[in-house]
Amino acid sequence: MKRVVVDPITRIEGHLRVEVKVDEATGKVEDALSSGTAWRGLELIMNDRDPRDGWAFIQRICGVCTTAHALGSLRAVEDALGITIPKNANYIRNIMAAVQSVQDHVIHFYHLHALDWVSPVEALKADPTATAALQNTILSTYQVKVTEPEVLDTEAYPKEFPKATPAYYQKIQKKVKDIVESGQLGIFAAQWWDHPDFQILPPEVHLLGVAHYLEMLDKQREIVLSHVIFGGKNPHPHYVVGGMPCSISMDDMNAPVNTERLAVVDRSLNTAVNIVNDFYLPDVLAIGKMYVEKGYVDGGGMAKERVLGFGDYPDEPYTGTTNGDFHKNLLLRCNGVVEDFGKGLAAAKFYDFKAEDLSDAEVLNEGVEHSWYEYPNAEGKDLHPWEGVTKAKYTGPKEGTKTDWKTLDENGKYSWLKTPKWRGKMAEVGPLSRYIIIYTKIKKGLITEPTWVEKMIMDQIEAVSKVLNLAPEVWMTTMVGRTATRALEAQVHAHVAKYYFNKLIQNIKAGDTKVADTTKWDPKTWPKECKGVGLYEAPRGALSHWVVIKDGKIANYQAIVPTTWNACPRDNKSEHGAYEKAMMDTKVKIADKPLEILKVIRSFDPCMACATHLYNADGKKIKVVTTDPYLRTNQE
Amino acid sequence: MDKKETMWDVCLRKNINRRSFLKSCVALTSIMGLNTDMVSKVVAAAEKNPLPVVIWLHGHECTGCDESFLRSGTPLTSDVVLNSIALEYSHALSAGAGEPFEAHLHDIMQQYAGKYILAVEGAAATAENGIYCMTGGKPFVTVLKEVAKNAAAIIEYGSCATSGGIQAAKPNPTGSVSIREIVGNSKPIVKVPGCPPIPEVMTGVVMHYALFGKLPPLDSEGRPKQFYGNRIHDTCYRRPFFDTGMFAENFDDAGAKAGWCLYKLGCRGPVTYNSCGNLRWWNGLSYPIQSGHGCIGCSNDHFWDEAPFYKRLPEYGPLLGDVDKIGAVAAGLTVAGVVAHGAMSAVQKSKRDAQKSDGKKVE
Repeated sequence: MKRVVVDPITRIEGHLRVEVKVDEATGKVEDALSSGTAWRGLELIMNDRDPRDGWAFIQRICGVCTTAHALGSLRAVEDALGITIPKNANYIRNIMAAVQSVQDHVIHFYHLHALDWVSPVEALKADPTATAALQNTILSTYQVKVTEPEVLDTEAYPKEFPKATPAYYQKIQKKVKDIVESGQLGIFAAQWWDHPDFQILPPEVHLLGVAHYLEMLDKQREIVLSHVIFGGKNPHPHYVVGGMPCSISMDDMNAPVNTERLAVVDRSLNTAVNIVNDFYLPDVLAIGKMYVEKGYVDGGGMAKERVLGFGDYPDEPYTGTTNGDFHKNLLLRCNGVVEDFGKGLAAAKFYDFKAEDLSDAEVLNEGVEHSWYEYPNAEGKDLHPWEGVTKAKYTGPKEGTKTDWKTLDENGKYSWLKTPKWRGKMAEVGPLSRYIIIYTKIKKGLITEPTWVEKMIMDQIEAVSKVLNLAPEVWMTTMVGRTATRALEAQVHAHVAKYYFNKLIQNIKAGDTKVADTTKWDPKTWPKECKGVGLYEAPRGALSHWVVIKDGKIANYQAIVPTTWNACPRDNKSEHGAYEKAMMDTKVKIADKPLEILKVIRSFDPCMACATHLYNADGKKIKVVTTDPYLRTNQE
Repeated sequence: MDKKETMWDVCLRKNINRRSFLKSCVALTSIMGLNTDMVSKVVAAAEKNPLPVVIWLHGHECTGCDESFLRSGTPLTSDVVLNSIALEYSHALSAGAGEPFEAHLHDIMQQYAGKYILAVEGAAATAENGIYCMTGGKPFVTVLKEVAKNAAAIIEYGSCATSGGIQAAKPNPTGSVSIREIVGNSKPIVKVPGCPPIPEVMTGVVMHYALFGKLPPLDSEGRPKQFYGNRIHDTCYRRPFFDTGMFAENFDDAGAKAGWCLYKLGCRGPVTYNSCGNLRWWNGLSYPIQSGHGCIGCSNDHFWDEAPFYKRLPEYGPLLGDVDKIGAVAAGLTVAGVVAHGAMSAVQKSKRDAQKSDGKKVE
């Protein structure tokens, strides 16, 4: 048995470490540990702030899903204050959320995940002519045809389309060759390029993958152009409580939004559709099929056992979340929990998630058994986010010192992440979870009239099941499935953006240009004390923000974020979280080069900065108990 | 700064013979997973002048600065990372991970000692010996000091690196401070503030180095003059409305629709030095004020503690001039306005300097 540490895990957001115990004879991972190794304390910083500023502060949790936490916060504050945003603001926010998901998914696959699948070294062996032919085959074979809703048809032909000429691939290959021969591998340095997994795909796929890596590196920026129009910049576009700051006026070029500005948005939404339909989705399906055909159907882990979602895309403005209105007109009704999907549809169980569950302390809560925190006066308990406490209790590693770790202690505390639970159990969240929930709800007749988004998801699942020649419960609950559903979801999001753009145009056409409701802008109009929740299906999964407002200021702020659900340490019954379970469901060929572990971890698209500042704001000064006398040097 | 030494130059300087040099090249070839027939190419490359080496470290951050860097339109990111620099260590883009990746970092630090550029994104968490930000099993501050030691120059990317950023906002639970406060002023440090900085500003700094072989001209605070030399207020397309006293009073009112000045909704443009007004985001497409939201001053030191963001400047800062009366005497006021804002910037700066020295007590 060998214990292998990978730290830092790169091509993710933030600081993550994993440790695995591998049986070298069988390649089986006997135990796995996932540790968030940084904590920033943002919720403490939220304390006493103006709730109208909350979105800007908490948006800085993450610059990758740069709009997710702003939206979560706006929804929570607006829920607390009883604000209904105007129609245009709802459409614009949904456009921004949708393109964020497309861009985030594209950058994840090509720039954070691809170098686990394709290698520049293998690309050198490719035949450029055969690569061009392969590109043509991929384009004709791996399209996922879906029925889009009726929207404005503004694009004459796809402006972004893959190049399929030998000369192009020759040039790309020449560049890769120059880099490799220069001895300065730059971003390509220090990967296990000699790992057998890089032999799974033929050289031509590697060359094509590297080419698209480079093209998408330069193209992804255009997907989020609408953030720059509606929010002034990206990353971290601007919002306002009550709606959007981008006033609409067709009378003025000085106005934030007018015809010309909308044309810029329209162009970028078409670009998003092109990129997903002709690059991202065909690439993922072609690669996924080759993996599945060679028997790589592992890495599912928790996805087989329990997945969770909150639902999203309010079709029209709603009056609140805690009052249940949010859940009444969603396009994506993935709110709920599915257990045992891995055992097949018949055995799978569905549990609804309703508004009343939000304030039930038994439904959603968090524990700290294996986290570097403690709950004074509530030892061993799990606390609801509105009652949450943050008190750091750093214990250091199992072997090594507090500032020089060898191995972490899986039996004690080992992560800056807490362990979130649904009815006392852990769950996986993310695109795969959303797809499993929608599929189960529809197949079991819990959704009888699917929205166009839900229909599109069902069509996609059917199409991919045909391509892979496997049942959904088999291919979905794998590392490949997690990566593939993310690509499918990008296609849905690209069309969601166009759908809301169409609604925005129609609404402006009907004479409504309002983007912000400022009737409750003045704190004098607020109740003395109130609390609210904001739910959002972020790129990485179900997100919830929780706010308590007292005397016009934030009195308590919490966020339970997707990566905390997925990357959390084990619970008090030693049940593992989703990362740990996925690692334990993955075979490792060479213990010292656990490429498979990195690949399965990256299939979740980790966002550690999101995960590690859970909690609270009771104003208590954080105190770390330090017992090691050598740690008390040259500080203070 | 000189051109970097080649690997062969280093061998010559260190009296390492040709035989050992060739041996290193063979080792390098196999590390890169190449066939042995590639050795001659690697030898030739090691004798040539390489691209400027960049090591990019991550402290307490949100990766928004990486993302901004990737959004650059001119130059495009692929051109930067493949043709202008050799980005040998980056948690965001590098292929490698774990032990071999850390070993690569040390190799690069040795091979290019005194020659590499250190780019840092994120703050340094100093409380409790740095255990709030661990990487590779060690506190980030430890890694930072080690890598900074032999850097030719350091770039602080983003407001977390330049002044501690969001995690340094009160009560700063993790004792986060700027990179400069950890590494001192022993070598050139380029300060590139912003939350995040504009994409083309981020790539512009390394492009300047790649094109001209030296750091861009800096102001007294260490910021590249070309990007931080102007106040947003002075380059803002809405400035004429300020001068004539035409303000949006509420979000989405008639003034907001007409693109009038956002000063009364809290705009920090008058105290913020950045290129949002002239360069703008996405090669001139827009910036926060153009999208209808006031500037939040994200390139100012400790701007998070200058919230609430919707309180207009005189209410959170010193009272200088009465904008409510500007419209009445518009004609004569432009000059007075400039003077008043100059004074206001000075007061804000002294406030931030005071906060900075407070920050030092954290150590």
